[in-house]
Amino acid sequence: MAEHAWILAAVPGIAFIVMAALGRNLPRQGDWLAVLCATSIFGLFFAVLANFLNLGEAAWPVLNSIEWTAIGDFHLRMGIAVDQITIVMLAVITTVALMVNIFSVGYMKGEPRYWWYFAVLQLFVASMLMLVLADNLLLLYVAWELVGLSSFLLIGHYWERRSAVEAAKKAFITTRVGDVGLLIGIILFWEATGTFNILDIIHYVEEGAIGDTRLFVTMMFILLGAMGKSAQLPFHVWLPDAMEGPTPVSALIHAATMVVAGVYLVARMLPVFEAAGALDVVLVIGLLTALFSGVVAFAQTDIKKVLAYSTVSQLGFMFVALGAGYASAGMFHLFTHAFFKALLFLGAGSVIIGTHHHQEMGQLGGLWRKMPITAGTFLIGSLALAGLFPLAGFWSKDEILHAVEGQGTFFFFLISIAAIMTAFYTARLFVRTFLGKPRDEEVASHTRETGPVMTLPLVFLAFMSIVAGFFIFHDFGSAFGFPGGFSEFVFLHYPHAFHVDWGLVGLSTALFVIGTFGGAWFYWNGRLDRSTVMAEWQPKVYEMVQRKFYFDDLYQFLIDRVVLGFSYLVSWFDRFAVNDTGVDGSATMTGYAGFLLKHLQTGRVPNYAMAIAAGVVALTLLSLAVGS
Amino acid sequence: MRDFTLFIPEYIAIAGAIAILATELIWPKIRKDYLAYATAAGALGWLVAAIPYIGDTAGDFEGVLLADDFTTYFRILAAGIVMAIALISAHYMRDRTSTAGEYYGLLLVAGTGMVLMAASRELLTAYISLELLSFSLYILVGYFKRDRLSNEASLKYILLGAFSSAMLLYGISLIYGVTGTTSYEGIAEALAAREGGTDAATVVGIMLIVAGVGFKVSAAPFHMWAPDAYQGAPLPITAFLSTASKAAGFALILRLFTGALVVDAVEWRAVIAALAAITMTAGNLLAIQQSNLKRLVAYSSIGQVGYMLVAIAAIGYGDAATAESASSALLLHIVGYTVSTLALFTALTAHYNRTGDDTIAGLRGLAETQPFLALVITASLFSFAGLPFFAGFATKLLLFQASTTDGLLWLVGLAAANSFVSLYYYLMVMRQMYLFDPPEGQTRFRPAPLLGALAGLLLLGVLFIGVYPQPAFEATDRAASALFEVSASGLLRLP
Repeated sequence: MAEHAWILAAVPGIAFIVMAALGRNLPRQGDWLAVLCATSIFGLFFAVLANFLNLGEAAWPVLNSIEWTAIGDFHLRMGIAVDQITIVMLAVITTVALMVNIFSVGYMKGEPRYWWYFAVLQLFVASMLMLVLADNLLLLYVAWELVGLSSFLLIGHYWERRSAVEAAKKAFITTRVGDVGLLIGIILFWEATGTFNILDIIHYVEEGAIGDTRLFVTMMFILLGAMGKSAQLPFHVWLPDAMEGPTPVSALIHAATMVVAGVYLVARMLPVFEAAGALDVVLVIGLLTALFSGVVAFAQTDIKKVLAYSTVSQLGFMFVALGAGYASAGMFHLFTHAFFKALLFLGAGSVIIGTHHHQEMGQLGGLWRKMPITAGTFLIGSLALAGLFPLAGFWSKDEILHAVEGQGTFFFFLISIAAIMTAFYTARLFVRTFLGKPRDEEVASHTRETGPVMTLPLVFLAFMSIVAGFFIFHDFGSAFGFPGGFSEFVFLHYPHAFHVDWGLVGLSTALFVIGTFGGAWFYWNGRLDRSTVMAEWQPKVYEMVQRKFYFDDLYQFLIDRVVLGFSYLVSWFDRFAVNDTGVDGSATMTGYAGFLLKHLQTGRVPNYAMAIAAGVVALTLLSLAVGS
Repeated sequence: MRDFTLFIPEYIAIAGAIAILATELIWPKIRKDYLAYATAAGALGWLVAAIPYIGDTAGDFEGVLLADDFTTYFRILAAGIVMAIALISAHYMRDRTSTAGEYYGLLLVAGTGMVLMAASRELLTAYISLELLSFSLYILVGYFKRDRLSNEASLKYILLGAFSSAMLLYGISLIYGVTGTTSYEGIAEALAAREGGTDAATVVGIMLIVAGVGFKVSAAPFHMWAPDAYQGAPLPITAFLSTASKAAGFALILRLFTGALVVDAVEWRAVIAALAAITMTAGNLLAIQQSNLKRLVAYSSIGQVGYMLVAIAAIGYGDAATAESASSALLLHIVGYTVSTLALFTALTAHYNRTGDDTIAGLRGLAETQPFLALVITASLFSFAGLPFFAGFATKLLLFQASTTDGLLWLVGLAAANSFVSLYYYLMVMRQMYLFDPPEGQTRFRPAPLLGALAGLLLLGVLFIGVYPQPAFEATDRAASALFEVSASGLLRLP
């Protein structure tokens, strides 16, 4: 089964075609088909996993490819490679996709283009699975663009709303900048090695087939692609705006799966990054992103925006782990984060439905009583994110701290600050949404707990947020499919056995306590709004944070002044020099030639016959002239 | 040896043709679309019967016909084309005629003629098979007796067809006079054994044959009948002309040139290259000027013939390996072209059934009234132009790649430039569909489910060949190597 893991991607792919073609006419607009599809790939994943483990370590990675095309001497093979990293990704994607599909049935009820939403969701799942299964960069790139496309379509699902259209466009164009980098990187690799196959490329690089400078430049381009997709500084701007999409989409695409594609790519090619000496770049970018978005998250007032910046920040954590050279720590945080962040997003979705589309924290508060299940699961997700022992986030953050320890005190200090900030804004989010007294009685009076189709996925994900961290332990991991525990299953050069470092546990808990209680103390009251206190105390600073350090304004300025200014210049040249003389000139000539030729077609049979006869004579003369 | 089992699929086709004619005689009031479905079923039986022949050892019939993988390849192609055309015709013919038995019967007969052209290994058999196809087409083009354009088209086609047949026969007799045989192998041996250089009789003979088959595939300057015939013919027959007729012509050309004339390549290769250059340039330049869709397709298909002739020229210029890969690439291009053309005409017929307008401007706003048809038309036009992800890209790339030899670099360059020109007039069609509002009173409509499904299927075919050409390429490779197995056994290539 492991060598036929492509079926995982094929099932939702077919489901997409069926639903796009017939979805509107199916009973219930085909949502059952989406859930069925998600359930079956969830089941199939376990078949793949069981087979993968049965084959044993000697058979990893499991490969399967076909010859796609042969043009002259150029042979292109396409196929899949299943190794430990892929298995982790498959686990995350199939689980979260199932939860999100079920949740969406409740969330999207009665929304416009219900069938299309589910169809595109399947397209996304198919492309995401293809992305992680691909054994070569070309196929990966195709999938990379396809997930971008489905993300675009889903962010812009409510295209009647201008902000949704703008957000979809922004996400598409911003990631496109990174994607071009990725494409250049892929081409550079192909030029140097003559192959797109990832394992072959790693092999070539380890043999030193590519010069140092060249390799570094190539990896910078690849990293651009990863940064674009994973919303790393300075490409992070699209992710918060992407919250315009339906909330389950944010959970699946913009928290658990697509945005971690960049992390996956870096993890997949980590040996090459290491050989290129590019790890420090990854580390610094990750650290800057983690700190920056942690700060911005303080000043956001929309639940989903807080979660979005939190996601950006956590992706930064993952990059930090990878930059420190620990594939296992990065992938482990990806694994646990997928569950608790999907939980938080779906919880936010539940709040939005329960309060009839209110997501500004200023209008919420006190939801604890009205929505106990949502609040309870949200609390678990928050604590996991903040890093409470022994929830999922604790273990993976611990691994990251452990990884950074070797990088010097300065980096360790900064990542600790970022961890405190995580706990702080998480506390703020939870307190202001669920505790205290309702700020808006009007909203509170309508609030209801959501139905089981939405709360059951929350409960399941809450359960996962509690236990996902235990996969790090040898016995637990072995029992549930990651033999030897996570860090012995996923590794770069050699496995490292996991030991609980009690000093680190203590430190980590201290960070959690400082952040959480700091945040809770700061925001725990129903009397006055501390965020306005902050705004009054330091209005300039507050505004700067709230406006996200003016990144969007800077980009807008660059686009308006620099890009458009340059484009005026180019377009002038294009209009007068290229178009009027070059293009129009040759086009007119061509058209005129056709006009002249047209007169030969008289419509009279004798003329036609004459042409045939003349043609024979001319061809004969030509043949005699050339042949002799 | 008389092995009558070699042509069982064709017996099915002919039996189907007779059955359909008889059905309408006995039961004149039968709904005409039932006849179409019966034809499609017959063609399906024909196709299925052809499948066991894949990979079978080549079987010779009396030294005049050969059933090998090459023949089987065209069998499947012919059956597929007839099936698609019958389905396209179903509503179109039902709404326009009261007798359609001959129409559907002749479709099957014409398809059989196409297979026999591919199977012929002897000049006179090839000629008779060609006439079997041509005569069926003369009638089909003029099927609307009371339509002036249809009449004119048929008459022009018959007169010029007869004229070019005479040339072909004259060429055959000259070759017979020089070599004393009409079998391809015999001709090859005789030409190889000939002493002294070029003789005028052979050259003239070959040129007359080139003119004869050039007329069939509508290579310039033998192409002039094509736009008139395409315009006047019933719409599905226009599709049939531009797929089956051309494929058959190239089947004959491939068999003849690789099997018999290849020994004399010096005498014709420059001519074919020139013919290719003229054909693609004339076709594409003239297409720009058209306002009628059918004429546009006619000229665009003439352009395509120009590209296909590049492969024939490559057979003359290259060594044995080049010749084989060029033949294989040509067969692939024919499939890609056929599927795209059928997709285009399925969509056009669905549009025409509703509006009765066959001008380019008549497509105005189709993207709004029927986005799916607009999509299919766009995809097939992109495929003709050779844009990535569509069949035409992969097949044209392989065709040019396989045909690139030192002597032909200029021709491949010209072909690329021509593809560029072709994009212009394809985009003009898309412009009508996407950038203009539909005419007053035109509302959104649904295409007939049959045509919609067929168009969808063909669209998938266009995309499949474009994205993953390897399976089709393996099939054409088999067919092409069959072609060269025969020629390698009996003939020698001049140094």
